[in-house]
Amino acid sequence: MKYTVIMLAFFGIAATAQNNHTHHDSIKNLEEVTVKGAAKKKIETEMKMAVSVDEFLSSSDNISFIKRGAYAWEPLLNNMSTERSTVTIDGMHVFGACTDKMDPITSYVESNNLAAIDIKSGQEGNLHGATVAGSIDLKRKSTAFSSKRKWGGAYQSGFEFNNKQFFNLGNVSYSSNKFAADGSISYRTAENYSDGNNDEVKHSQYKKFNTSLGLAYKTSDLSSVRVDAIFDMAKDVGYPALPMDLSLSRALITSASYKQLFEEGLVRVIDTKLYFNAIEHYMDDTTRPENLVHMDMPGWSTTYGLVSKANLKKNSYSSEIQLNAYDNLSIAEMRMYPQDRSKRTMFAYSWPWVTTRYAGLSMNNSWDISEKSQVNLGGSLGVNYNYSKYVEFNWIFHPGAPQEKTRFLPSLNAGYQLNVDHFNFSVGTGYGHRAPSVSEGYGYYIYNSFDRYDYIGNPNLKNEISYEGNASAGFKNERFSLQGKVNYFYIQNYIIGRILSMGSPMNYQSVGVKGYTSLDNAALFNMSLNTSYDILEHLHWKGTLTYARGTDNNGENLPFIRPLSYQTSLHFMHKNFGIQTSVNGDFAQINYSPEYGEDQTPAYTIWNLSANYTFQINKVKSVVQIGAENLLNEYYSTYADWGNIPRMGRNIFTSLKFSF
Amino acid sequence: MKFFNFLVIALFLAITSCTIDKTDYEAELGSEVPEYYEFKEAASFTSGNYKISIEALNGAFYKGYNEIHLKILNMQTSQNISTSEVTFLPVMSNPDGNTSSCPHLYNLKYDAVNKYYAGYSVFTSESATMASWKLYVSFTSDNQVYKVDKDVAVEKQSNKNLNMTSFKGNDGEQYFIALVSPQKPTVAENPLTAGIYKYNKPSNSAGNFPDPSQFSYSEVNGFTLKLDPRMPEPSMGNHSSPNNKDLTQQNDGLYHGVVNYTMTGNWTLNLIMMNQNGLILKGTVVPTDFTPGVEGVKSELYIDTLF
Repeated sequence: MKYTVIMLAFFGIAATAQNNHTHHDSIKNLEEVTVKGAAKKKIETEMKMAVSVDEFLSSSDNISFIKRGAYAWEPLLNNMSTERSTVTIDGMHVFGACTDKMDPITSYVESNNLAAIDIKSGQEGNLHGATVAGSIDLKRKSTAFSSKRKWGGAYQSGFEFNNKQFFNLGNVSYSSNKFAADGSISYRTAENYSDGNNDEVKHSQYKKFNTSLGLAYKTSDLSSVRVDAIFDMAKDVGYPALPMDLSLSRALITSASYKQLFEEGLVRVIDTKLYFNAIEHYMDDTTRPENLVHMDMPGWSTTYGLVSKANLKKNSYSSEIQLNAYDNLSIAEMRMYPQDRSKRTMFAYSWPWVTTRYAGLSMNNSWDISEKSQVNLGGSLGVNYNYSKYVEFNWIFHPGAPQEKTRFLPSLNAGYQLNVDHFNFSVGTGYGHRAPSVSEGYGYYIYNSFDRYDYIGNPNLKNEISYEGNASAGFKNERFSLQGKVNYFYIQNYIIGRILSMGSPMNYQSVGVKGYTSLDNAALFNMSLNTSYDILEHLHWKGTLTYARGTDNNGENLPFIRPLSYQTSLHFMHKNFGIQTSVNGDFAQINYSPEYGEDQTPAYTIWNLSANYTFQINKVKSVVQIGAENLLNEYYSTYADWGNIPRMGRNIFTSLKFSF
Repeated sequence: MKFFNFLVIALFLAITSCTIDKTDYEAELGSEVPEYYEFKEAASFTSGNYKISIEALNGAFYKGYNEIHLKILNMQTSQNISTSEVTFLPVMSNPDGNTSSCPHLYNLKYDAVNKYYAGYSVFTSESATMASWKLYVSFTSDNQVYKVDKDVAVEKQSNKNLNMTSFKGNDGEQYFIALVSPQKPTVAENPLTAGIYKYNKPSNSAGNFPDPSQFSYSEVNGFTLKLDPRMPEPSMGNHSSPNNKDLTQQNDGLYHGVVNYTMTGNWTLNLIMMNQNGLILKGTVVPTDFTPGVEGVKSELYIDTLF
């Protein structure tokens, strides 16, 4: 059925049908998209209709976040940090320009230019390149061509009381027989938030501007060209958990693509895209007079790339083939100023002009063995090349390390799915390599304020090799559903920072130097249980339980592993009125890792409540929502809050949305 | 085509509008370090038919280590002399008549490949009204000894990477340590070269001035210079670097080791000088603690560098 969708959605560029053939996908709210071929559902969570990208992502089971403040959370997929996952925007690789991970890729988009976020776990995510944890693909809005001229749009505004966040999000779309366009613009501004003790968390403000434009032109009945651009600018962003803030970050993300469809034959769609993106990121510590050392830390990341994708289908066989190629140059500088400013400044590169080139071919095949069962088989082979221009920086800790390094990154995955009546089952396995990230391979004195060590990259690191198994089982009838998923990763050469016996700290807050090292192995286990029940026609209940465990080769705990956590929500809907409430929390973090700077995080529980009312003004659909997060004003921080910074206390939010 | 134009303009803006320029790393490394790449004539004398030309880096003598190339030209035959014994002696004198010298190579060696006499002089002070330097050179040609001398100016060494120090060792002898290279360090592993010299106290009374036996210096042999580089800036908290190598003597008579500079700026090379028997003649072990805000304690034997 998968490719009938494509045929239906001839020019629905958003509707790349790769999302609906596996049950492990955590893609949210995309059912409508794939069926109708156009992005209808908006990025929103059950509780909140106006969410940031981060808030939206956090509603997924296998995503957790390292939070360094109120802005730009670092998504952890399967409890693994961003080095282990591929984060792409419509398949385009974009790399943050901050050595301190202040700018995950998710911070360069906005909820009103996204249609969906496609999350794939483990090696199923190898389509976009080598990965261990999986892939997160941020799918932009792209309106399909239509036979009639059509305008659409939405405007959303809101205010959140806790941090005086005020946001305005607008987007319009136009489509005609030959031409389609999407545009969005947004601006968010927030002041410092307050924690559950009503204490202000200093340096947690932010300002974010984002705009995007996409233009598509139908060159023939079966082909189209499309150009897209996103411009994102964040200013004056505070990171309360870090010793510095951000004065400015800018991203320009552009692409031009050509899509050709075929009515007959094995190949159904070929979509080729050239892209370019440039990110600049300027940290700023002048807001922190308490710092002993003033330091400039600018970073730049520039990527050129190509992604070309073909969809094949014949009878019960369907396949996706994707070619990924990119060239990234990452540069990060640090310049420390002596207390006597007339003296010489101290300069070094924290990323010494590191080039990463990757080219890989991926293929995912699926066969419908019967009406009830499906086999998936996929693989990819990539070549990863690194070049450190100022390799002498790397030689200080690793004398004689090669300036260039080429790695081969194979990946395989296999899965089987079975649907019997109300039950569904799946099992899968995967094998894959990943190359060390720029920081892991070539980073130089990158200060980690969590464990307070300076980190040194190692160009000689081996590939990380993941062996993975996953399984799921579920039951669903008209009123009740229950779905359990587990996955297990056994990772060889697991890359993590270990204390070095040599060298001494460079950053004054630091207590020592850690070098990225390969552990012999590490293991991660993730589990989730989802259940829903329609209590009454208009009253729905949902519950989620997740658990994860990560250990290194000595059986010691890995850091940033989510403790047992739960979420339960009730949703009542009647006519134009909706009310929802949820309770979520983590149990105490028993398996924490003192070795990696963690302390035990106690349990917490948060209660949220919101209500919304939908009404019609002429042809404009309007929704007004009011709600409160952390209604009881609990003071808490989670296991992944950098430096145990407290989370936001009670936050009353309001929002208003018009769409036509 | 409209959108392609848009794209091109947007790209152009993004590329050209970085608000902070990337650092020009080459310029950054050179900003504090004057470059002395070329040997140029720093002094010349004439005696009879001979012209003696002394070349040094940049055409000047500086406090610290100076490699010197000496050429003797027979102006009649326009031939350079290559078979003579050439001696070289720098002497500093005070207005009150006291004279002293500095580490130097007295008998210059002929370098047949490059066709000059090679030596060095480690000037221990800059020229000043209280201290004037004079070079005494002698050579033989056609069995005749020629002796010439000339006042020269010793300038301040503005490249701190060629600093020197002189001190009295625990054995009561006068020692000199002069940095020879790198002239222009980088944030990297830098091969570090230094000369260690000793003043040989005269055993006999002075003969005719200038009596070389009164001004005798020699390279010391078989010593070890233990190295611990640290950043003196208080906010760097006694920061150091890994993988440094102590300096030991190589065939060229100089001492070679490795210093790693982890960033540009001021550095202190903390040294401990040990003789052939491992006896410490000068220098103390420095604390390795990381002390943000407090300048680290220096060894009693150290040389500062800056790049």
